[in-house]
Amino acid sequence: MRQSLRLVLAALALAACSPKARDAAPAGVLPDIYPDYVGVTVPAGIAPLDFSLAGAGALDVRISAPDGTELRVRGKDATRIPARRWRPLLDRSRGDSLRITVCARIDGRWKAFEPFGIFVSPDPIDYGLNFRMLEPGYELYSKMGIYERELGSFRQHALLENTQFDGCVNCHAYNRGDPSRMSLHIRGEHGATLLQIDGRLTAYDTHTDESLGLCVYPYWHPSGDYIAYATNTTRQSFHVQPDKLIEVFDHASDLQVYDIRNNQIITAPQIKQEGLWETFPAFSPDGRTLYFTAAEAVAIPEGLTQSHYNLMKVSFDPQTGRIGHDVETLIDAAALGKSVAFPKPSFDGRFLVYTLCDYGTFPIWHHESDLWLLDLETGETRPLDEVNSADTDSYHDWSANSRWLVFSSRRDDGLFTRLYIAHIGEDGVAGKPFMLPQRDPERYYQDLFLSYNVPEFVTGPVRLDQVRARKIINSPERVRFGFRWSE
Amino acid sequence: MTALLGVGAYAFFAFRYPYHLHFQEQYQLFEWTRGYFAEVASVPGGLADWVGRCLTQFCYYAPAGAALLAALLCGVQLLVFAACRRRTLPCYAASFLPVVPLLAFYCDENALFGGAVALLLTLGAAVLCARVRNDRLRCWLAAGLIPLLYLACGALTVVFAGVVVAAEAPRSSRRAWALGVAALLLLLGSLLQAQQLFPYPLRRLAYGVHYHRYRSFFPAWLWLAALLCVAVAVGSALPLRERPARRRLAFGAGLFALAALAGTGLTLRCADDAKEEWARYDFMVRNGMWNRLMMQADRKNPDNPMTVACLNLALAKTGRMGDHMFDYFQNGPEGLLTTFVRSHTNPVPTGEIYWNLGMVNTAQRFAFEAQEAIPDFQKSARCYRRLAETNIVNGDLAVARKYLRSLEHTLFYRRWAKETAAALDAGDVFERQPALARARDLRLKEHDFFFSAEETDSMLGLLKVEHPANGMALDYLMAWCLLRKDLDRFVEVLPMVDTPSLPKSWQEALLLRWVLTHSDFEGLPEYLSRAYAQRIVGFINDNRAGKSEAEMQRAYGDTYWFYYYYRYRQ
Repeated sequence: MRQSLRLVLAALALAACSPKARDAAPAGVLPDIYPDYVGVTVPAGIAPLDFSLAGAGALDVRISAPDGTELRVRGKDATRIPARRWRPLLDRSRGDSLRITVCARIDGRWKAFEPFGIFVSPDPIDYGLNFRMLEPGYELYSKMGIYERELGSFRQHALLENTQFDGCVNCHAYNRGDPSRMSLHIRGEHGATLLQIDGRLTAYDTHTDESLGLCVYPYWHPSGDYIAYATNTTRQSFHVQPDKLIEVFDHASDLQVYDIRNNQIITAPQIKQEGLWETFPAFSPDGRTLYFTAAEAVAIPEGLTQSHYNLMKVSFDPQTGRIGHDVETLIDAAALGKSVAFPKPSFDGRFLVYTLCDYGTFPIWHHESDLWLLDLETGETRPLDEVNSADTDSYHDWSANSRWLVFSSRRDDGLFTRLYIAHIGEDGVAGKPFMLPQRDPERYYQDLFLSYNVPEFVTGPVRLDQVRARKIINSPERVRFGFRWSE
Repeated sequence: MTALLGVGAYAFFAFRYPYHLHFQEQYQLFEWTRGYFAEVASVPGGLADWVGRCLTQFCYYAPAGAALLAALLCGVQLLVFAACRRRTLPCYAASFLPVVPLLAFYCDENALFGGAVALLLTLGAAVLCARVRNDRLRCWLAAGLIPLLYLACGALTVVFAGVVVAAEAPRSSRRAWALGVAALLLLLGSLLQAQQLFPYPLRRLAYGVHYHRYRSFFPAWLWLAALLCVAVAVGSALPLRERPARRRLAFGAGLFALAALAGTGLTLRCADDAKEEWARYDFMVRNGMWNRLMMQADRKNPDNPMTVACLNLALAKTGRMGDHMFDYFQNGPEGLLTTFVRSHTNPVPTGEIYWNLGMVNTAQRFAFEAQEAIPDFQKSARCYRRLAETNIVNGDLAVARKYLRSLEHTLFYRRWAKETAAALDAGDVFERQPALARARDLRLKEHDFFFSAEETDSMLGLLKVEHPANGMALDYLMAWCLLRKDLDRFVEVLPMVDTPSLPKSWQEALLLRWVLTHSDFEGLPEYLSRAYAQRIVGFINDNRAGKSEAEMQRAYGDTYWFYYYYRYRQ
């Protein structure tokens, strides 16, 4: 009886709504949805791609899998796709496309837009993302933290926030997304480099007599025995013109590799050269090469626009921690009047993605910053036009299987950095990227005054005991780094 | 007497201390949205904090803020009395005692309304709970409310526990002991659990997350008030010998007198006149009350770099800087363009100066940084408004709309935000808002360089070069040179002056340079006043005669020469 009543009610509801949508006049164009999910490539494990349509008073959306399974979603100004029904739909569409048909009531009239596809890649994506969130500002910071977002759902939680101590949380990195190996930098009164290895959390004082001190831009060696860091003296200046508000630059920077087993910083003259600024280290997937960027030192800030970083590499011996003598230039960006930042090799060793901007080492404040792809087999490099936008496209990270690239972009409003995920095929061709999904994304991103910063894939949830971390950070005890020169 | 307390507190905050209330209001952004409520209320003490912030927004109008604060104080007093077991005159008089430290607490511009609200809510809950007649229900209710109140009101839940235990004691000492132990365990349990659930150190969870703007500050006055609330409730529950009515009356009157004297004395002692003056100048700059600001300076010469900078802005805005800036105390270039500090206070009025000069990016930076520096991580409606304005002027409309949308959820900024958003939609925002059009016209368009406080003169000069009508930039440039006592640079930039006559201080500077480089007035340019020339002769003679600084100030205190020789000695 109760079931019959439900059926009758459902039929009545359908009868009340559907004729209007069914009678919608063809709009003849694709819907102008936010975020722009038209033609994007997504993994099968992604959270529902809810969207809104500009000016719509009501939405009636049909999502169809290739086998004919259909999901119908109605909403007022945004969809709310049920996760339970979304997931099987994605599973049935692996290697093929979902077909999305949008009908919307705009100015009291129903319109039927041209259907569009969402390609569902068979390549799986990692469990989630870790990123820092903070206001995109100048020198000071308010509340901020490191957060974890599960990609299969909308669940997001704080790993560590600066409400727990005076300072800011900074560069965080995982070994190929392995959540059990984390490096995290704390700045401020309680500054430290935190390492969590298999649940053991230690705070380090990274200052040594031979190095500049702070350990930033960490990159784990695939063996898990080393972490490459840059150590920089960073400053900021502020433009008076509106096109570029801020410049962040180094007055000095060197590279160093932390030997975890021996608790020693290793460096070598070839990555600590006078008159050369080395930064952004990254190990190759086989662990035998260290990529980095380097620029000839210039007078700062007057010579800042002449500061061009090249992509370099040097060999590294994981057995001994020896850094090779011969530094090789992979991309001579200086010759092109450009600057390379954030070199990140894919974990299959095939590609390397970097950010290219006009000058300097902090591309996030450069509207011209774009992502470029270097084919490590052929040495060819090209802009990733499939993913780049008219505004800043900058920091990026590979998924563990090297098929997904998360990157930060300011394409939305020119200031607040948002995350996009792109599929990178085995041939290096990228699919159209999609914005990190949210429930009611338009409202979410409109109300969000924080920028996403340093997105990193993680293959599982990071287990960080906040209470213990708080105690360790607030305590003055630090393990001091040792130091040794590379042989 | 309660009404008297209300009137007294209102009078103090509305007439003696109103700018502290404006200060409170401008360092928060209260949005009438579910998201904002969820964000604020989701930490221990969050509900009290939300209510406190809701009340604080009315400090946009100081009399309204004063009335609400007075009502809060009266509410606490009445509830303390309601929590007393006996309805006697001494109890009534004693109920005023907790208000004394509360008054002192709210003389601190960083004391948040959430503290008083938490006290009010916990007292209210205790009074209601104590009135439940069923013994078992009352005890269970009291125990059950502790974790909930901890979540809603924070650490001041201890007041609830103290008052309900005190109320239970006369009924059954055994039950009171049991309830006391249970309350203590529940409080400790709530605290330890909160440490696991919320990202705050135990110390902050123990003394309150949002009672005071500074995170590491222990709000001692608030806790003293809390202690007195409990003490009064406990005192009223003690089995005392019946005293004659006259003695009760005398005791009550004594307590009244004590509360009144302590309240008045402590409030006046804790009132920070220097900060009130700072907040007054900031308020007047914010609202463009230039004449009122100068009248205030005439009454009492400002001497703090920030208030002097506000005065100089008022002088420049009214075209009186060149003639009158040395009529007032000047404390060097710092009193013209205050150096950026990592604080939520000074960058706000300094940003106003840059905004008025046409240095839009710098105004934006100062507004942003001031907001980021707010110690309790709140946002500022005033800064949001400025950020919306700077982004409109810079053409970053998507970002500007974001700030406007947020302001549309506020009570007192909604109208402006909606009007501005509508003007943006219509494409005539610069026609409708002359201040924005002015900033757009004045800002630098051809020259780009990095902001540098050391090169302020170059920046001001470029503002004038790019926009010759920017007289304020020229006034500031000249004042900058004068205040630094850099007469060579002053003469160097003088050709930028395009007016036929020079203001008083400029002429005085030129005359000073003349006498420093010449032996007589032979060949003195025509545009320099002979009367001023006569006066500088007198100044030099008096100076050589060894007259005291006070005498020199009486005779020449309004001249640049006095500043040059007697002020800003580095």
